[in-house]
Amino acid sequence: MPVRRGKLFSKILVWFLLVSLAPMGVVGYHLIGISQMSLRKEILAMQEAEAAGFADTVYKYVTTFRQVLAETAAIEEFASMDARTQQQYLNRIMQVHLAILELSVLNPQGIEQMRTGRFLGPSPEMRNFETAPIFTEAMRRGYAVGKLERFQGLYPTAAIAAAIVDQKAQPAKTVGVLMARVSLNGLTSMLGMEFPAAGKSSAAVVDKRSGFLIAHSNMKEVFKPDARLPEDILKVITTQTESKGGGDMPLGDGRRILGAYADVRDLDWIVYVQQPVEYAYQTAVEMKAQILWVLVWVVFFTVLLSWAVAGHITQPIRVLREAAARLGRGQFEDLPEVTTTNDEIGDLAQTFLAMSESLKEKTGELIGAKQELERFTKFLEKRVEARTRELKAAQDELIKKERLAAIGQMASVVGHEIRNPLAVINNSIYFIKTKLGGVPGGTDPKIDKHVKIIESEIRQANGIINEILTYSRTRELKPERVLLSAWMEEILSVYPFPPHVALDKRLDAANPAVDIDTTEMQQAVRNLINNALEVMPVKGTLSVQARLNDDRRTASILVGDTGPGIPPDVVDKIFSPFFTTKARGTGLGLAVVRKVMDRHGGAVEVQSEPGRGTVFKLTLPVAAAAPAAPGGGPNA
Amino acid sequence: MAKLLIIDDDAHLRESLAEVLELEGFECAQAGAAHAGIEAAKKLDPDVVIMDIQLPDSSGFQICQTLRKRSRDTILIMMTGRFLSSEEKKQGFELGADEYITKPFDLAELSARIKQLLSRK
Repeated sequence: MPVRRGKLFSKILVWFLLVSLAPMGVVGYHLIGISQMSLRKEILAMQEAEAAGFADTVYKYVTTFRQVLAETAAIEEFASMDARTQQQYLNRIMQVHLAILELSVLNPQGIEQMRTGRFLGPSPEMRNFETAPIFTEAMRRGYAVGKLERFQGLYPTAAIAAAIVDQKAQPAKTVGVLMARVSLNGLTSMLGMEFPAAGKSSAAVVDKRSGFLIAHSNMKEVFKPDARLPEDILKVITTQTESKGGGDMPLGDGRRILGAYADVRDLDWIVYVQQPVEYAYQTAVEMKAQILWVLVWVVFFTVLLSWAVAGHITQPIRVLREAAARLGRGQFEDLPEVTTTNDEIGDLAQTFLAMSESLKEKTGELIGAKQELERFTKFLEKRVEARTRELKAAQDELIKKERLAAIGQMASVVGHEIRNPLAVINNSIYFIKTKLGGVPGGTDPKIDKHVKIIESEIRQANGIINEILTYSRTRELKPERVLLSAWMEEILSVYPFPPHVALDKRLDAANPAVDIDTTEMQQAVRNLINNALEVMPVKGTLSVQARLNDDRRTASILVGDTGPGIPPDVVDKIFSPFFTTKARGTGLGLAVVRKVMDRHGGAVEVQSEPGRGTVFKLTLPVAAAAPAAPGGGPNA
Repeated sequence: MAKLLIIDDDAHLRESLAEVLELEGFECAQAGAAHAGIEAAKKLDPDVVIMDIQLPDSSGFQICQTLRKRSRDTILIMMTGRFLSSEEKKQGFELGADEYITKPFDLAELSARIKQLLSRK
């Protein structure tokens, strides 16, 4: 069965995650911020240190040549040497220091006295430096670094000057200036070595005032007539007041760089180092990624842990809920194992177990009660059904009786009303007969015959009326006790059987006693015998039986014939009054039989087989006590 | 000659009966209702009164009672078209009726019965 985790599980999970992950998120966020900031500071500091380091190198480079000049100028005899010797000295210096391209000696008025250089002709032009800053500064301070120029329009050079001092004069007196044009290509070479082209960093040395590009890590940038750094960078670094510094800088083309600068001591030069931010901060980005990765793992494990904890907490509750759901469906068996721990959930489980026991008991009682109720309901339904059947039967009986009563009443009225005209006709025919009979000489024999026909028909009509009135009459029953077989014997003995019918008489020796109104019962038996004889006009057997039934509480009279039988479709109607299959008949014979049996608390049944015959059975209750007197005939 | 009074509301019946009984040698008077019958009986003083039990203005038993009070000798015969219960017959006899006859009548028998009753007088 799959585990269905519910809302409680989700709530615990959410809260646990919230409690554990929210502080971690805040801490992680700050950690990343702090680490990023310090890393960036560190990187910037390193870049500044690089700039400062190279600034020192530049200073030393320039200082080296200044010292060479100063040492030369400080030679005791230099001021007093003749031009030829000075020339030799200077040539020797140029041989030693390849970067020195040209050397000049200026007199105190700033006029060039001697000029020698690697690429100068034999008699070069002598220049006047009287107002040049390099000359005045060297005269005043003892040395100076002057104007930057591109030798042959390409290679950066600087003029370096040192004062020539006459050591012998008291006090010492400046007698001129030794000036050299020094190639600065060496700086570019050194930068190229320190910041190789394969790296992402680049560096440059720039004159602060003019923006002259002195050196660059990429020599292609520097050896050209108009070599300059981009103006946006120059604008930033040439306006700095601090001796060194740096930071993020957006470029005009959208890139961002991390730049650092350092002033070169004693000179108005700046060393500038730059690299793209993405490379500069690569470490920071990597660190950030690592921290984030760690955070992701932490979150992952926290979720797992929370899941497990929430599952552990809610598991017993889930089991309880499952058990309760089964209880709700009425399953008291096979409940899931409810573990009871020593906490609130354990208490809940205990309560639940107690409740389920109680529920089981109560449900059992309820089911029992329900079954009892169902049994009772069924019993009641059966009672109601039986009672309804009884009522229906009683109602049918009542309707039948009312109908019969109505028929009887009508028959009585009709019969009575017909008797009057019948009496008048009878009187009249009697009068006619008497009158004609009184005529001497006899009457017409045909008139006589018709008079007789009328008389016969009147008798027949009267018979029918009598039958109807007898049927409808409410006569008081006068029962007397008779022995059935003996009584039947008596009836049969006086009945005029026709010779063509055989009589099969079986009268039980048990001779049961019955209480009957002999007049009516005789009428019933006679009606049955009359009917039987009527359906056997040519030949047949009349069977008459009187017997005590097996239950010993009822006795029966059976009258059977071997006539054509009763068609099945009319067998239900034969006991209805006025139903007849005969050409002439009131249809009251069998109705009388049934009425008589009803009045005696008995029953009449018929069994007929078309083509073989019909048997009528009259069943009567046997008299309770021994017969008071032996039964006789109807007139006994 | 014996005098008969026939009381019946059916004119055909009383006429036919009267004429048949005249053939038998009786002198017959008729009345169509109880009241008229009693009046006729008072006037004629008949030997025999044959009356229907059911009459429009009264019952035959009523006439029977009245006439019996008047004369012990008059033969009173009740006519009926229906079955009478034993109780009714008994009541009639107590009121003075001598005989009951049921419609339609066997006239020869009736004639003989009347003659027999008259001979006892």
